Amino acid sequence: MSIRHGLLALLTRGPRYGYQLRAEFERSTGSTWPLNIGQVYTTLSRLERDALVVPDGADGEGRHVYRITDAGAANVAAWFAAPVARGARPRDELAIKVALAVTTPGVDATAVLRAQRAATVRTLRDLTRLKADAPPPVAPGEHAELLVLESLIFQSEAEVRWLDHCEASIARVDTPSKESDR
Amino acid sequence: MNVLEMAGVTRDHGTGAALVRALRGVDLTVAEGEFVAVMGPSGSGKSTLLRLAGGLDRPTEGTVRVAGTDLAALDGRRLAAVRRRDAGYVFQDLNLIATLTAAENVMLPLELDGVRTRRARAEALAVLERVGLADVAGRFPDDLSGGQRQRVAIARALVGERRLVLADEPTGALDSVTGDDVLRLLRARCADGAACLMVTHDARHAAWADRVIFLYDGRIDASAAAPLPEAAR
Repeated sequence: MSIRHGLLALLTRGPRYGYQLRAEFERSTGSTWPLNIGQVYTTLSRLERDALVVPDGADGEGRHVYRITDAGAANVAAWFAAPVARGARPRDELAIKVALAVTTPGVDATAVLRAQRAATVRTLRDLTRLKADAPPPVAPGEHAELLVLESLIFQSEAEVRWLDHCEASIARVDTPSKESDR
Repeated sequence: MNVLEMAGVTRDHGTGAALVRALRGVDLTVAEGEFVAVMGPSGSGKSTLLRLAGGLDRPTEGTVRVAGTDLAALDGRRLAAVRRRDAGYVFQDLNLIATLTAAENVMLPLELDGVRTRRARAEALAVLERVGLADVAGRFPDDLSGGQRQRVAIARALVGERRLVLADEPTGALDSVTGDDVLRLLRARCADGAACLMVTHDARHAAWADRVIFLYDGRIDASAAAPLPEAAR
């Protein structure tokens, strides 16, 4: 995703000026993606060049307001309609580290996995604490911030499950006749 | 104050070639107001740990104290009293009795303990209110949603001011949002002074606890208590 799509999506709610867009962007992403105002204005000028937004004069305090064009609205609708391609992540450091741990002599791969699991669960616990302390959403739209936080929670959970899977796979190769469950 | 103290706890099943060491020298304490989660793969000894903590099984070696009482010193009758008065259990399969209402299910452990019906009902209704189920107290389990049934089971585990709540995969097959409600509730009970020990294989659930312990091959992984090795990714 680009900041372009984020700003366009916010402008579908109505004309906005730069600082307002920055504040709303950060609020709806649960402050996980801080923007500086320079990025906002650079992006707005590119959107204007591409005819996706137009300047809409200034508000009472002299701030430059932008309005989305029909082309901009079509662009953001297409973005919402298209699924996000994660892309292969061949340079995922953790995956590479685990792959090297199982193939490098003298490295205890299980210890690597367990240390990572403990660290990831701690991260997960910190994220869950933020979620537990957040006021429950009541009005539509108040979910946005929580949903971003929860995406981080589910990603951490997926990492722990993958680590569990790695450890079980290693254990199976090391001891083909694993003792039964207790 | 420690509600649960386990020291040097070992549990063997079988002998000779068939010997399985389910737990080996486990030390674990859970204080009043603390929510502790135990994670570990299948066969790591999680469920054995929970059964020993609740006096449903006895250790081969070591001691288990609940609210200061050494469970080994108790005969069967007094151990049963500890199971009813001090510890509450929430299991994946809820074991609610289908022919009793929500309130009657919650009253059951009190009545088994000789509490008069009128008082048992008042306490059951109070705890059902605390878990947000006051309005369905008269319904039968089959007329409740999955999340409501799980909350009834938690109410039953808490009634009579029991201090130790033992939970085994308490969110069972609930969807993730309803499961969060159950964990939020357990966390709130701990904030009110209960001690909770929960075993789970799900990291997202364990993350609701104050402390997460890893069990591998019957041993607690001491290294998991080490500080974060690298900055957050």
